[in-house]
Amino acid sequence: MAKAKANTDLCKGCRLCVANCPRKAITALETVNKKGYEIIEVNEELCIGCGICYKVCPDYVFTVE
Amino acid sequence: MPVFRKPESIINTAGYCGGCGHGVIQRLIAESIEELGLQDHVIGCVDIACSFWSQDALNFEFIAGPHGRCAAVATGIKKVRPDATVYVHAGDGCSYVIGLSETIYAAIRDVPITMVVVNNGIFGMTGGQLNLATTLIGDKTLSSKAGRDPKTMGHPVDMLKTIANCDVAFAARGALYDVKHIDETKRYIKKGFQNQVENRGFSIIEVLSPCPTNWKLSPVDAMAKIKNETEKVFPVGVYVDRGGKD
Ligand SMILES: Cc1ncc(C[n+]2csc(CCOP(=O)(O)OP(=O)(O)O)c2C)c(N)n1
Ligand code: SF4
Ligand code: SF4
Ligand code: SF4
Repeated sequence: MAKAKANTDLCKGCRLCVANCPRKAITALETVNKKGYEIIEVNEELCIGCGICYKVCPDYVFTVE
Repeated sequence: MPVFRKPESIINTAGYCGGCGHGVIQRLIAESIEELGLQDHVIGCVDIACSFWSQDALNFEFIAGPHGRCAAVATGIKKVRPDATVYVHAGDGCSYVIGLSETIYAAIRDVPITMVVVNNGIFGMTGGQLNLATTLIGDKTLSSKAGRDPKTMGHPVDMLKTIANCDVAFAARGALYDVKHIDETKRYIKKGFQNQVENRGFSIIEVLSPCPTNWKLSPVDAMAKIKNETEKVFPVGVYVDRGGKD
């Protein structure tokens, strides 16, 4: 099954993906990336590859394949 | 299972704030252009405002004219480069306030371009001043600190209804607050580009989009505001679809 992969270098910490994932597969972290934004983490076990995170993310963090 | 991967035309990051709708809109534009196979001859027209960042992100040709004049600049580009796909990506301050005349005259002339207007209810780039056309009654901005009062600041106006008085090809409003509406907005934007391929006339797509920075809301709360407040004043849907007429 397709799974979401996150390039968190691009993340700007908006948390829209966390709020929109239907499987609660995305967790908000306190870890920051090089740009200083708090990033996220995908739990591949829970992910169903629906692509919603890809569509809501304003910064193109996700690839689902 | 479908694969979701960012369009190849997106070659760089843009300077938008976290949670800003401009980034989603830019993706919908790039995806529509690539799905129609137009990416080799595109001239984008961005504003001296937050859409200016799009020049960094997308692998297209761009012109940024003076603030507010995007529709006029794009009209000129299309006249001299009729074979190019010409689009506008601009804010509601550009399109409906300082550049209202330019937008209306592009509509009156029925110029075959695709205009995407980001309705975030505020002047984003300059720090969040009131937009006479789109700021909601009661909303606090840098220039309406006690909230917009219609007695002194008038009421917001549905500019798509004004534009619908002109004989244009397509006018529609989408929103970004959930995936259903993001997908619907994509269909409108793609239709706007398809109309241009078929030389059908002026297409305008307005998008209800968050400016979390100047609204002083979290990105998630800003999306909720669009759903609960903005969409009530500015309903989404198709306002004009002229269909086959040239
Ligand atoms: C002729 C001129 N007047 C005013 C400005 C200042 N200015 C820059 S952007 C802007 C408004 C931006 O708001 P909007 O068009 O809604 O775009 P946003 O930044 O919200 O995407 C203004 C007034 C300018 N650059 N040029
Ligand atoms: S693809 Fe769907 S299920 Fe998987 S992380 Fe993204 S939103 Fe969640
Ligand atoms: S939507 Fe994108 S930018 Fe926002 S938190 Fe999720 S991955 Fe980061
Ligand atoms: S100021 Fe507002 S519109 Fe401009 S990039 Fe930031 S959030 Fe987006």
